[in-house]
Amino acid sequence: MLSQQLVNGLVLGSTYALFALGFTLIFGVLRVINLTYGFYFSIGAFVALTAARSFGANIWVALPLGAIAAGLVAVVADWILLTRLRRAKAGELSSLMVTLGAVLALYSLMAVFIGTDIQRFPFGFVDNSAIEFSGIRISLVQMLIIGTTLVLVALLFVLLQRTKLGLMIRALAENEDAARLMGINVGLTVAAVSFLSGMLGGAAGVLIGLNFNAIQPFMGEHMMLRGFAVIIIGGLGDIRGALIAGVLLGVLEVLTAGYISSNAKEAVAFTILVLTLWFRPVGLFGRAQAKRA
Amino acid sequence: MSRLLSTVGAIAIGSLLAAPAATTAWAQETVTVGAIEILSGPSAAYGTAIKGGLELALDEINAAGGVLGGKKIALIIEDSAGNKDQAVNAARKLVGRDKVPVVIGPTLSNEMFAVGPVTNERKVVTVGTSTTAKGITEIGPFIFRTSLPESDVVPVTLKTAKDKFGVKKIAMMYANDDAFSKSGFDSMKAAAEQLGFEIATIETFGSKDSDFSAQLTKIKGLNVDAITISALVEPISGVVLQARQLGIPASVRFIGGNGANSPKLGEIAGGAADGLLVGSPWFIAKKGETNEKFVADYKKRNGKDPDQFAAQAYDTMYIVAKAIDTAGAADSDKIREALYKTDFNGVMGPFSFTQGRDPASNEGVVVLAMKNGRFEILE
Amino acid sequence: MAEWLDDFLFTYENLVHALGVHGLLALSMYCVMAVGQLSLGQAAFMGIGAYTGALLTLNLGLPFWLVLPLSALAPALVALVIGGPTLRLSGVYLAISTIALGEVLRVLYINAEWLTGGALGLSGIPRKADLWLIYLLLLIGVVAFWAVGRSKIGRAMEAMREDEAVAGVMGVNLPRYKLGALIVSSMIAGLAGCLSSHSNSFIGPNEYGFEMAVTILSFALLGGIGTPVAPVIGAIILTALPEVLRPLQDFRLVFNGLIIVIAVLFLPRGVIPFRLRRAP
Repeated sequence: MLSQQLVNGLVLGSTYALFALGFTLIFGVLRVINLTYGFYFSIGAFVALTAARSFGANIWVALPLGAIAAGLVAVVADWILLTRLRRAKAGELSSLMVTLGAVLALYSLMAVFIGTDIQRFPFGFVDNSAIEFSGIRISLVQMLIIGTTLVLVALLFVLLQRTKLGLMIRALAENEDAARLMGINVGLTVAAVSFLSGMLGGAAGVLIGLNFNAIQPFMGEHMMLRGFAVIIIGGLGDIRGALIAGVLLGVLEVLTAGYISSNAKEAVAFTILVLTLWFRPVGLFGRAQAKRA
Repeated sequence: MSRLLSTVGAIAIGSLLAAPAATTAWAQETVTVGAIEILSGPSAAYGTAIKGGLELALDEINAAGGVLGGKKIALIIEDSAGNKDQAVNAARKLVGRDKVPVVIGPTLSNEMFAVGPVTNERKVVTVGTSTTAKGITEIGPFIFRTSLPESDVVPVTLKTAKDKFGVKKIAMMYANDDAFSKSGFDSMKAAAEQLGFEIATIETFGSKDSDFSAQLTKIKGLNVDAITISALVEPISGVVLQARQLGIPASVRFIGGNGANSPKLGEIAGGAADGLLVGSPWFIAKKGETNEKFVADYKKRNGKDPDQFAAQAYDTMYIVAKAIDTAGAADSDKIREALYKTDFNGVMGPFSFTQGRDPASNEGVVVLAMKNGRFEILE
Repeated sequence: MAEWLDDFLFTYENLVHALGVHGLLALSMYCVMAVGQLSLGQAAFMGIGAYTGALLTLNLGLPFWLVLPLSALAPALVALVIGGPTLRLSGVYLAISTIALGEVLRVLYINAEWLTGGALGLSGIPRKADLWLIYLLLLIGVVAFWAVGRSKIGRAMEAMREDEAVAGVMGVNLPRYKLGALIVSSMIAGLAGCLSSHSNSFIGPNEYGFEMAVTILSFALLGGIGTPVAPVIGAIILTALPEVLRPLQDFRLVFNGLIIVIAVLFLPRGVIPFRLRRAP
């Protein structure tokens, strides 16, 4: 049973990590806790769902569609909400507040139009069979989630470390004014980062929606609370930290529910979060100044 | 003069603060009854069904000559949006401005716990049609309900599972963060203990959770005969799906509370939910002329099939109308006395109130089983 | 009392209570924002006050004049624990840890069933929060903040709000001001919570979550924080509005969210942009 529980934890943790990647990327580069991120997650899932329903798109079409749509929404949202504040150098709190208001409006607007009933991808959209070996069961969708998370982390590293865009993004993360002086097109780089993080959020929405069969407008909000915990524990802006913190949190939650009490499961994330804030606010893996993207 | 001024003032402020009430000019020929239901927001589906049931019965009653020798009943339905404060505001408006002798609703038990004390203090009869939690009618002597509390329905379901399928050892699951699910679980636990089930474990989850793998893996290791679950339909769907995914065999039946009694379950969980048992005070294919007529008329009027909420509301409107007639006046005290004497046979079956103002009999309860994503009566 | 007046008061009693309680909540938000911080824990502090007050009344039967100050004290202790470590960090950390506080408390209320009634909440709380008391406390709060705002302390607070680094250099003891503001704000929120639980007769664990926190924030952002009266007016507008505009029902949260966006982007000083005049 322990091995099955560890697999459960790994799967759950991967969903947390997958969700947190784009969230922490935005902070790492743009220094903004962008709460509209939760909406990218919801909209990604809904676009994929609509594609699957209206023209029978399969997962390999629906997934990129959801991701790209969320990426575009992210670019527009960032442009409307944050350009002005960035120009005025208004600081973290103003950005936090403006995205907080925006995300509430966006979720609620979505709820008004499509209702809050949960929905699911059509039966048979993906092969939902499970593989069993030595008493451990894992479904194909769950393996897809773990695989996608690892691939995306690897791709992000390559992108940031080995490409010209990556160099521009890292320069922007280091210091906006210096980046501008070096001739980097800051507006374009910001848009690229928004698009990337939106895509990550959208892809997470599709896969997690597929796994849990509970797609509804506020799904991003429920995920957000775990997202906060993961990016703080992993260190704000730290992609590798988010991966490790996500998996760690998932495993701890499952083990708590499995071996201590399911009543305590809800409290795990926030207990670790508060402890981190007290004793190690730069995150478990952070340096004194977590500046890495 | 001052009286006039203040009336004008009151009306001015009143219309500033709320939509104008129904005019009272025709109050002579009508008896006004209030209702508070959820007509907007996430839980609007419940309130809309109730409204449909109430209005269908109202049309029939008024077409048949109304009450008190020819007076028509006027129904003012206020929206609570599922919000406790708005429900109280609505109750205060119905009692303070519209002066209704009877309030039907509100939809949720939580709302009733806030509204009940207010209407009871003003000695206005309040009849819940969908409030199943424990302690509702204990709020005060003016609070009635026509919905069977979970504690009357769940024992029937569990007993059927025991007698028919030989269920002995069970695991219990419930959402521990909302009143409906928790209260349902309390009734389930009491019934399970009374029937002598062996309770292998009790597992909780949040009503907005989507991952139940840890709890279900633990339950899988305990080799139980059945799993009881008290929650709203969304998490139940997830639990059922993940249970089958983790390899809990279909022979381990789920036994649901009131929350599982929703077509949404089949929509989301599909075949994974097959075999799930749920007790219901009403079933759409229930035999009998009254029910068949109700189902047909409801469908004609509202464009879709009625559910248990609509059925309960439909009967309640008749019960209230009869009580007004028996009371001989639109007077809350007299209506309250009359309700105690209710002897009604509606779509849910024979109905009367206990001295504690709850439904007296649970003979109408039927046990349904999920088959191919739809509920069928368990033969 | 004339019957019509009685009925009129009965009809709007709940709304009039809510206006006053929300006014106090707006004031508590003002208090944190006045030193340039953002707390999303005002709803959580309100919840602590509500539960503390309800439990003291129901279980110990303490008189209300004693219950009320104790309900303000309990959240203050929690604010001390939360605020101590996080206020030295950037403001974002306080915002996030106060969100976490709300969640941790929710789990606590749900699980401490023997004390809090779990998901079923606490019902049958006697109605002891008189209207005059609510509005008297609100008035005292506004006047007190007004006086503080015009004093030397108020000037230090304004300096922090405008530019924290500069204020620090000028000798303002930043952590002390921040912690002080957080504690005072938690006490006001606690009072509001106690008053609301004693005018509502029922409280549950899910009422003091993220949505309430955001609503309280929108009070202050709509009104602005130029003067202590402004957020109170913001609260009154946002509380009365759903009653006036019933058709807006479905869009209420959309509306609240948009108010925050518009306020931050275009009306950084709120709809009441006047600022306090300094004492000579």
